[in-house]
Amino acid sequence: MNTFRRPGRGRTHPEKELRFSFDSKVYTGYEGDTLASALIANGVHLVGRSFKYHRPRGFIGAGSEEANALVAFDRGPGRKTPNVRATTIELFEGLVAHSQNNWPDVKFDVAAMNDMFSVFFPAGFYNKTFMWPKSFWDKVYEPAIRRLAGLGPAPTQPDKDHYASTYGHCEILIAGAGPAGIAAALAASDAGGRVILADEQVELGGSLLSVPQAVIEGMPAWQWLENSLEILRARENVRLMPRTTVIGYYHDNFLGLVERLTDHERSPAAELPRECLHRIRAGRAVLATGAIERPLVFADNDRPGIMLASAAQTYLNRYGVVVGDNVAVFTSHDSAYEAAFDLSDANVRIAAIIDLREGVPEALLEEANNRGIDVTTSAVVTGTSGRHRVRQICVNTMKNGVVEGGAKTIICDAVLVSGGWTPSVHLFSHSKGQLKWCQRVGAYLPDAPNENTLCVGACNGTFGLSNVLEEGAKAGGDGRTYKTSEPLSGTGEIFQSVPTDRDQTRIKAFVDFQNDVTDKDIKLAVREGFRSIEHVKRYTTNGMATDQGKTSNLNALQIASKAINRPIEQVGLTTFRPPYTPTTFGAVLGYRDGDSFEVTRKTSVDMWAEENAAVFEPVGLWRRARYFPRNGEDMQTAVNRESAATRHSLGIFDASTLGKIEIVGPDAAEFLNRMYTNPWTKLAAGRCRYGLLLGEDGYITDDGVIGRLADDRFHVTTTTGGAPRVLAMMEDFLQTEWPSLDVWLTSVTEQWAVIALNGPNARKLIEPFVDGIDLSLKAFPHMAVKEGKICGIETRLFRVSFSGELGFEINVPAHFGRALWETLYKAGEQFDITPYGTETMHVLRAEKGFIIVGQDTDGTVTPDDAGMSWAIGKKKPDFVGKRSLARPDLVASGRKQLVGLFTEDPEIVLQEGAQIVADRDQPIPMHMIGHVTSSYWSSTLGRSIAMALVKDGRTLNGTNVFVPMPEQTHVAKIGGTVSYDPEGARLDVV
Amino acid sequence: MSSEPITDLLSIDQGISIPDVLTRHPEKIDVRLVGERCRYNIRVQREDLDAVRAASALDLPDKIGASSATQDRKILCLGPDEWIIVAHMSEAARLRRTCRDISQEFTLSTVDISHRNVAFSLTGSLVANLINIGCPLDLAVDRFPIGKSTRTVFENAEIMLLRESKTGFYLETWRSFAPYVCSFFEKFATATQYDTNT
Amino acid sequence: MLLIRCPYCEEERPEVEFSYAGEAHIARPADPSQLNDEQWAEYLFIRTNARGIHYERWCHRHGCARYFNAVRDTVTDKLQMTYKAGEPKPDAIGPSGGDK
Repeated sequence: MNTFRRPGRGRTHPEKELRFSFDSKVYTGYEGDTLASALIANGVHLVGRSFKYHRPRGFIGAGSEEANALVAFDRGPGRKTPNVRATTIELFEGLVAHSQNNWPDVKFDVAAMNDMFSVFFPAGFYNKTFMWPKSFWDKVYEPAIRRLAGLGPAPTQPDKDHYASTYGHCEILIAGAGPAGIAAALAASDAGGRVILADEQVELGGSLLSVPQAVIEGMPAWQWLENSLEILRARENVRLMPRTTVIGYYHDNFLGLVERLTDHERSPAAELPRECLHRIRAGRAVLATGAIERPLVFADNDRPGIMLASAAQTYLNRYGVVVGDNVAVFTSHDSAYEAAFDLSDANVRIAAIIDLREGVPEALLEEANNRGIDVTTSAVVTGTSGRHRVRQICVNTMKNGVVEGGAKTIICDAVLVSGGWTPSVHLFSHSKGQLKWCQRVGAYLPDAPNENTLCVGACNGTFGLSNVLEEGAKAGGDGRTYKTSEPLSGTGEIFQSVPTDRDQTRIKAFVDFQNDVTDKDIKLAVREGFRSIEHVKRYTTNGMATDQGKTSNLNALQIASKAINRPIEQVGLTTFRPPYTPTTFGAVLGYRDGDSFEVTRKTSVDMWAEENAAVFEPVGLWRRARYFPRNGEDMQTAVNRESAATRHSLGIFDASTLGKIEIVGPDAAEFLNRMYTNPWTKLAAGRCRYGLLLGEDGYITDDGVIGRLADDRFHVTTTTGGAPRVLAMMEDFLQTEWPSLDVWLTSVTEQWAVIALNGPNARKLIEPFVDGIDLSLKAFPHMAVKEGKICGIETRLFRVSFSGELGFEINVPAHFGRALWETLYKAGEQFDITPYGTETMHVLRAEKGFIIVGQDTDGTVTPDDAGMSWAIGKKKPDFVGKRSLARPDLVASGRKQLVGLFTEDPEIVLQEGAQIVADRDQPIPMHMIGHVTSSYWSSTLGRSIAMALVKDGRTLNGTNVFVPMPEQTHVAKIGGTVSYDPEGARLDVV
Repeated sequence: MSSEPITDLLSIDQGISIPDVLTRHPEKIDVRLVGERCRYNIRVQREDLDAVRAASALDLPDKIGASSATQDRKILCLGPDEWIIVAHMSEAARLRRTCRDISQEFTLSTVDISHRNVAFSLTGSLVANLINIGCPLDLAVDRFPIGKSTRTVFENAEIMLLRESKTGFYLETWRSFAPYVCSFFEKFATATQYDTNT
Repeated sequence: MLLIRCPYCEEERPEVEFSYAGEAHIARPADPSQLNDEQWAEYLFIRTNARGIHYERWCHRHGCARYFNAVRDTVTDKLQMTYKAGEPKPDAIGPSGGDK
């Protein structure tokens, strides 16, 4: 048994001994221990080095407020988590953890010289010193600081764990299962609604777990707790959630909870998620989040062994572990006496109680006297010593608040401190509830809520067990009273800053232990002119560590308030933000990882493409086949082959991703007239037309072929990426501007698989398969659409071409897509049918000068800029964007216009996005007159082709412009956009 | 026509396969891919609703979120003038005829969306939890009662949801979103098969 | 995540089902060609950008797919009420911010 164990005390299970390793040394602990309690039981207090000064550090707390004891929790490769609070790690057989931020080891740390030279590291040091020059920051300062200061190293391997996430609902969500939370849950579940009671700890009970001597309703606290939990467990409407932290409180009672599922298990099943994110919508939130004890700020208050009095009490009463053999107490609050008496009763020597206050309740002094404990009032600890653990403290007395000389030293191996209590108002603050300063508690308390929230118990500034229970019950909806007795319900004084007789410039009294901020730093910030606590926070980094200042914010505020000489209420309070405690990225992601990270939309032909070695590219949410390499071809070779096959014989292309909207109703044509630039009234059923869609600002927003199936039915296609946007825009105009039109819109993108056949043999291929449509040139000309059958299934057959060749787009119901593709592919062997991807599609269309909206346009291109004034219905009185086309800026000269670009060296393929200048010899920075929008190698033309947006481009036809690139400046001639078959003869080859 | 018809080559499950874990404990989770269905999106002006009902014998429910069902046909009211009809293939020919007929008689819209959606039937004591991993609606049976239907979201996918029994749901999504939705189902089922509490 | 009452569904639904659609009660001019450049620019670009009560449009995109109007306080981000498109602009409750 470890020397620091006290058999018979605590809730751990001595019959279940567990071995664990810390810094490669093996120790034993019990089931029910945390890593912290097990280490303390083994007499280990030095567990890490501090962030900036690399000072030895131990445990300051016993729960999630811990600021010092951050360790690397090692659950094997890909499962190393840095910066975990040792106080929250549940012990299991074989647990491995390491100290961090030290080299070569925690006892001898080279960087501890930061501490010796700390005069060079005051507040704002980094801001001041490393401002200039920039290259020095990148190359010298930053890497050096990274090595010397900081927390544990980030993991280098991908996270091997997986995570879960869900939504949930309840009528009442209670955060915190201490006495207030449990009383609230008992009352609320009586009423029948769904109740969730969540607590970050493994055991529900909160502060009750640390005070077994309390009595509730005539029974010991732990008995009452067990009975209450039994009742709650039996209720179907109650969900008890231990190991679950309420990390954030958002709009309309939406709360985020992270449940830890496997970190406490030695070898959890691989299928189990490590953590689960619960996104809970609650009718009402009851916050019973308790309070955190506040450290006192005095010289060298950070040595291992110096900790919160409540933490020592928890280690003793909950884990059966004493924090030392000879313990001193330094306090300004009654509650530390309780811890001292409990330790004394567990045969720990209490070296002294040093109380800052002049007046201490008689009862306490009497109790101390009964135990033979020496109490000094109006006294102050002015220093501590001990290299790796506190060994002694210096105590001075005070008169009228002034420290008197003649320090007395007291030998001890631990110091319990208490500067009062800070209610945990974090969640209330997340929900935008207002806080107000309470002098009685010396802290900010919840005031007006912004949501349906009730704060109960210590987080509401309510102390005393019966008060807390009754407040909880009331929040849960009943007015019951509780009879209790408890050792103490204390009061205390809040000292703005602990007085000292030392030279304040030479001591370090820590406020924020995790970020190594001292009271000197805060005073310096104030001296340098920072007045708002938000600015002091950022300048000193107080409260900006991973604990968000749970133990430091109020102390910092009080020191700043005194230094500024303004009441605390006027200095303000920093904002609490989610998450309440550090949260893994995994939990935030939940199930949304791997296949579930984002939707990958695939067409019905996609699997065929995959089986045939296609290389894919993402287009919006879709993945599309980019090219189909054969025998190890590179992309250019494959594209040359695919495009030659299409131009000379037959190419097959999956165009299923095109957006499709079916527009039905007697006013369908009128609706299209108003939406698109083109006229639709006279388009006959069975014909289609290219449609251009503008935003109301006059810029091109989408395009596509629109087929008229019947007088009152149109089949509209959109760009692949634009489908949802176009439908939303149409619905917006229809519902809110023209609700009287009798027309309805239905998305049919996924109803139809679209197989595009392009090439002189396209008709020959499909003719034998098509039923009910006369495919002859005359009966079914370019830009015709007919409904009929292909291979026995219904089709909407379009004769359109995005390649310039004879082309068909065969729409069939999606689940037939692959079957039809394979049928056509097989039959097409006679024509050496060649599947092609988006890359070849781009080359073919660029040779024809067809634009891609979003590539050749960028949201600032008008139809005229794109050379597409022909698409505008001149006689139409109005359409979306028409009025804007007459705006002065849109008709002014000097606009960028889409032109063709032909490099002087035909082998050069310009880079898309490359900038264009008129004068290659001008000084840098050059005046840019445009940029390349599309650029490809055209095997058909045997040269490169490009399109570009160039200022007044059309007037520059035939002139040379320049494209400066790092290696050389390319010369290119401006020309037309159509490079292939400008007469369109290829469309009608027989 | 000189070729063999391919009408029997329809394959709904391209890219979608139901992993074993989704049917292993059917009392808890039983997820099935629904076979071929005939689906129509019907848009009717409110003032014509009674007349259309009478002429079509389609029981178009009044209220958004309501549904009606017969042995081989479900009708869901998704918007103020929007209904989705899902019929077994035995009913398909009749439904197509009905849609054609009412289109001629009334000012309305009928659009065939049979292949746009893929449907899952989900039954078992845990399926409400399963749907809730991605759907933010409260699926308690008193909040989302039997017969309630709606369009909503499942993480980044839009879905259509109908509760058919206390522990049974019918869920549709656009076909290309189905594998994504199913990937969540699989993860949840895999994680919960070890959960002895449920 | 806000809860938004859809006036068509007559239910409170989670924000992820909705999309925002800009300021409300800005009707498209019946005949844009009658507007001079300044008037058209006003219609096209100028918005209230209210601090406080804001009349705005939402669409129940992944629900009933209807556009509707809402009154929201841009300071507190609280939705005061929602109403169907085409219904008259209601009076807001409570303090009004910089509504013009």
